[in-house]
Amino acid sequence: MDKFFIKNLSIIFFIFVPIFFLWHPNWLGFLDVQPYWPLFWLLPWSMINGSIKGLIFGLFLGLILDSLTMDNNFSQIPGLILCGFLFGRIKLHSDNLVGHFRFGLISSFGSFLCGTIYFLQILFKNFSDSAFLLFIPSLQNILAEVFLTGFFAPLICSHLLRMFKFSRRKFK
Amino acid sequence: MIDVRRISNNRWWHNKKNWMLFGIFLFLIFIRISKGSIYKDFYYFISKPFWPGEFQKEVILKSLNQETLINLRLLKKDNIRLREILSLQQSSTNDNISAAVISRKTGSWWRQIILNKGSNDGVEIGAAVIGPGGLLGRVKNTSLFTSSVTLLTSPESKVGVWVDSIQINGLLVGKGDDYPNLILYSKNADLKVGDFVSSSPASSLLPPNIPIGIVQSIDEPFKSKKMAKISLLAKPQAIDWVQILKIKM
Repeated sequence: MDKFFIKNLSIIFFIFVPIFFLWHPNWLGFLDVQPYWPLFWLLPWSMINGSIKGLIFGLFLGLILDSLTMDNNFSQIPGLILCGFLFGRIKLHSDNLVGHFRFGLISSFGSFLCGTIYFLQILFKNFSDSAFLLFIPSLQNILAEVFLTGFFAPLICSHLLRMFKFSRRKFK
Repeated sequence: MIDVRRISNNRWWHNKKNWMLFGIFLFLIFIRISKGSIYKDFYYFISKPFWPGEFQKEVILKSLNQETLINLRLLKKDNIRLREILSLQQSSTNDNISAAVISRKTGSWWRQIILNKGSNDGVEIGAAVIGPGGLLGRVKNTSLFTSSVTLLTSPESKVGVWVDSIQINGLLVGKGDDYPNLILYSKNADLKVGDFVSSSPASSLLPPNIPIGIVQSIDEPFKSKKMAKISLLAKPQAIDWVQILKIKM
């Protein structure tokens, strides 16, 4: 049983990403906005497994998260696919302290990318006289999400990366 | 001449992993089509120990003044009698479903709450959801044990409302922050800050006369439209228990 868990550690964490997305605890938020949870898993996964797998699992994550949110018109898939692909291009060097901060910057960038792509979809769909009403709340959403994702990423991503590497090394 | 024939033993379809990925992809497509009902039911079971306790409901009920309740009942009876005389749509009666909020997204892009009652308990798509204060939103989809509610603040939400002080119908549109916009298609409507907004008696989507909010600020008239920001009476970020109004056929 232990072997099974260690071997499939990354997949088990993958299953729990949408649960965190649904959980949405208020005490962890800022301006009622939460960190963008899928990036915490996607970043270490793509760094270890490369761009193509990052892209595929970005699509998988997007499919699940889209089904949990009720917006039929907008999708998180484009942002997550792009992030999965870009994160896969980052080479692994070492787990030093600078690396920890780098996780924060990369995740913030990914969150900004996903937020902007999502906002652009909303903007194109609602392109009318009242579209300007969406600007300020959307900008607030993007910035709060970027801040929170970058804040928590060094802690979460570095731990996940170590765990994924450990499970990979053990079963190679 | 030697016939060189390629031995095709490393085609993509020979790789077991590719088939596994394809299988996962198909499964996720199924989840997408079923609107995440498997996930929401899974979440229902693992979040069960953390659901809000009954005490909040009791506190809210106790805090309501008994005299107000008696008055309310009398008014309701009167309302039903008058509606019968005028052959209007019936307002809600007591057969509501009480549900706890098990997941809440009141900020960010997605403004929705998930309740612990689903199609198994008789919740139907389109049912109105009210909390202490008034209307919260409408049920968008249901799984076996859960139902997802689009809040009035969501950009997807559009409901017909009634401004009682000026006797006019309007449209309440969410725009992704805590204050949805009231749009009146009359430039000269005499709307004032503090006016009360309720669900429209003319709406076929919602039961009539459910309190919604009060006018917080009024924008300048724009192209024959008048717009105002509405402060909602029911606060979804703080409510743990809600009532789902059954749809009357």
